Amino acid sequence: MNKKFIRLITAIGALFCLVWIIGLGVTFKAYYANKPDKIPKVTKVPEAPKSKKELRIVALGDSLTRGTGDETGKGYVGDIVDEVKKKTKRPVLLINLGINGQTSSQLRQQVQQIEVGRQLQMADCILLTIGGNDLFRGGQGLQDYQTKQINVIEKHYLDNLKFILQQIRKNNQTANVFFIGLYNPFMDLAQGKEMAKVIRHWNYDSAEVSASFNKVVFVPTFDLFELKVNDYLYSDKFHPNTKGYRLIAERVASLLTW
Amino acid sequence: MSKLIQNEMLKLIAKKRLVVIAIIIGVLVALFTYAQYRQVQTQQEKLGTKDWRTILQKQIVDTTNRLSSTGMSDEWRRELQIMVKQEQYYLDHNINPNAPGAPTFVRVFLENSIGLFIPLMVMVIASDLVSSEYSLGTVKLLLTRPVKRWKILLSKYITLILAVSLIIAIAGALSYGISGFVFGFKGWGAPILTGFNVTKAGLNTANVKLLSLWEFLLMDFGLVWFVAVVVGTLSFMLSVLIRSTAAGMGIMLAALISGAILNNMVSSWNSAKYLFMVNLQLTDYLAGNPPPIQGMTLSFSITVLLFWWAAALFVSFFVFTKKDVY
Repeated sequence: MNKKFIRLITAIGALFCLVWIIGLGVTFKAYYANKPDKIPKVTKVPEAPKSKKELRIVALGDSLTRGTGDETGKGYVGDIVDEVKKKTKRPVLLINLGINGQTSSQLRQQVQQIEVGRQLQMADCILLTIGGNDLFRGGQGLQDYQTKQINVIEKHYLDNLKFILQQIRKNNQTANVFFIGLYNPFMDLAQGKEMAKVIRHWNYDSAEVSASFNKVVFVPTFDLFELKVNDYLYSDKFHPNTKGYRLIAERVASLLTW
Repeated sequence: MSKLIQNEMLKLIAKKRLVVIAIIIGVLVALFTYAQYRQVQTQQEKLGTKDWRTILQKQIVDTTNRLSSTGMSDEWRRELQIMVKQEQYYLDHNINPNAPGAPTFVRVFLENSIGLFIPLMVMVIASDLVSSEYSLGTVKLLLTRPVKRWKILLSKYITLILAVSLIIAIAGALSYGISGFVFGFKGWGAPILTGFNVTKAGLNTANVKLLSLWEFLLMDFGLVWFVAVVVGTLSFMLSVLIRSTAAGMGIMLAALISGAILNNMVSSWNSAKYLFMVNLQLTDYLAGNPPPIQGMTLSFSITVLLFWWAAALFVSFFVFTKKDVY
């Protein structure tokens, strides 16, 4: 075998050995010696691309937006997207930002995120469900639905709702916002009637807040679940099932324009 | 000394081991590139967009939702929480954690191969460096020369280090070259973050530093090299101790694979952190992934590996100079 060739390979090996040792040295330097960098945070919502082909639907909110309880995993949002796909030739893009168990305070935080703002800016249509977790708090709310506590909770919620809608409008003046109201999952329970009263009031106030904004449509669902509520509820007796979501979706779909 | 090294290099090259390793790496990289390409394609098809911010935002929301499900193990929950926080940090600072291009592929490839794949390749060379001399009987020829025994072993060890350096270089060159055809050769300057600290409380972002990808890659390569040297030294020791190459390889292989398995389940066995095979994932510290056992840090892992390295080296030289050869 050629001696020169062996020398060359040896030299290349030695060279890389040196490079990797330098790499190891850089690691230590970067990891321990250097001061942390001041990395600028994005503070302004970056300008979204103006010309886009696709139709963007942004969904915000809680487990209803997520589709919890729907065996097909779509939820009313998925059903609406299917409807829209039938009506338009443009590609439809769904950005579902719903988070299970989200309350209005948490959504208030979420809509202030820069990227969420950018998504809202690009949206052609915005779907929103919020408030259920404020009011029911996973079932606990049942106990104090008639106390004064409920007024405090509602005031807080309405305040948040106003802020959220303002934030949406600030980012996007043109997209239609569909705000889906609450239904009464406890209709068949003993206190169902009293609970219904609270929810009607809650929905009324929500609708009032929505009406003060341009192109924000409050979509009632209370009546959909009023009769035969158990046919439309998932086994947790709280979230809608596939049929229940389809009811909500049908109602919203009939209102959709963009 | 340099003659001895030349001699060892000659043997190494004559055995064509490096060529075999290059072919194995080449085939695997091609497979990974294709797999990655398909994954990106399906993801884009499913999400309907190429915009990384939209994709990352969706990931964050999806993971947050997974966190809300009950019946999840605490470690897994913590890991997801750290992931969400890190992704949010990237998003808030407008930095794409997976900038498209071959350099990112190289980074991911290194991060995934540091624990098992690269050590295996190193083993191919290291495990029979000494033992093959026994099995072929050539060790007598070597030891009858008027050269001190430790010099012979040192020349073998230096050859091993050179070979390890070459293997890392081959892995880097092949993964860049092959994936570049698919993902493009650019992207060396893309920004990337390091210095995330995983503590008991979650993710600490106070010490985060901004680097260019090429700097980050250099660091990754340095760590991969270090791990490869440690694993190489350990199998070198075994090849001195055990005459049978197959037995030495088997032991090393078992240790490496047990490391890969242990990594996923040692979180509550605290003293396992002194095993070398649990400490091989050094690149995870740079990327800010949670360590297998709470409280492990980069310097801890490196110290542990250094101890194993020093011990292996000592045993190798001690035994080789004392051993009776017949």
